[in-house]
Amino acid sequence: MSQDPLSEDPPRGRLSSRLLAHGQEPDPRFTLANERTFLAWIRTALAFLAGGVAVEAFAADVFADPYRTVVSVLTISVGLLISVGAAMRWLNVERSMRLGHPLPMPLIIPLLSFASGVAMAVVIVLVVLD
Amino acid sequence: MSPAAPMHADPGLQPERTVLSWGRTMMLFALVGAVFLRWLPHYGFWTVGLTLSCAVVAGAIYLTQRRRYSRQSRGIAAERVEADVPAVLVTTLAVVVLGILGLLAVLA
Repeated sequence: MSQDPLSEDPPRGRLSSRLLAHGQEPDPRFTLANERTFLAWIRTALAFLAGGVAVEAFAADVFADPYRTVVSVLTISVGLLISVGAAMRWLNVERSMRLGHPLPMPLIIPLLSFASGVAMAVVIVLVVLD
Repeated sequence: MSPAAPMHADPGLQPERTVLSWGRTMMLFALVGAVFLRWLPHYGFWTVGLTLSCAVVAGAIYLTQRRRYSRQSRGIAAERVEADVPAVLVTTLAVVVLGILGLLAVLA
């Protein structure tokens, strides 16, 4: 009699055995959807990074020096926070799905909203003052 | 010649969508690398290293796309896809390192 293919546990990578130790493999569609959501957040982080780099490189004659550096540092920092948050959220969602728990609250969404609002307010103020 | 058999029967095209998502991320890494080139006149020659790092990450994503697609397609067919922890961690690490180097350049 052949073995039930679902009962055997194929070997997993070292990192995923350590970081995703408990629970059962979730529906593969959910795992891939989680990966795509992570990638969407990483692209958001990369957009903030590119924005911060561009402010410093292109806007030399738009904003005076201290303001430009502050805007650039804030924008790049938001990109950093979002990229770390994206990885943490990916891990937490994957763990919740393995254990059958409800998905965690996304803390990076209020972070993104707040950062976007602050960035726009700063740019409006700087353009009006100029 | 008959067409090749499909690797999976998922009507939601999960592997295709995930691989395309990686492709968009790859293009954004290339874009960030191109924007870093604008720093060359301000911060000196070392910023080429930032552009090259972005190119390395984008190239790594490009070179693993085919393997990623076949792994995910086989996984969907077998109803089991192992979460790609190394890819997530390496991508995050790349963004964090680029961001920290960028901050150092601006603040220096």
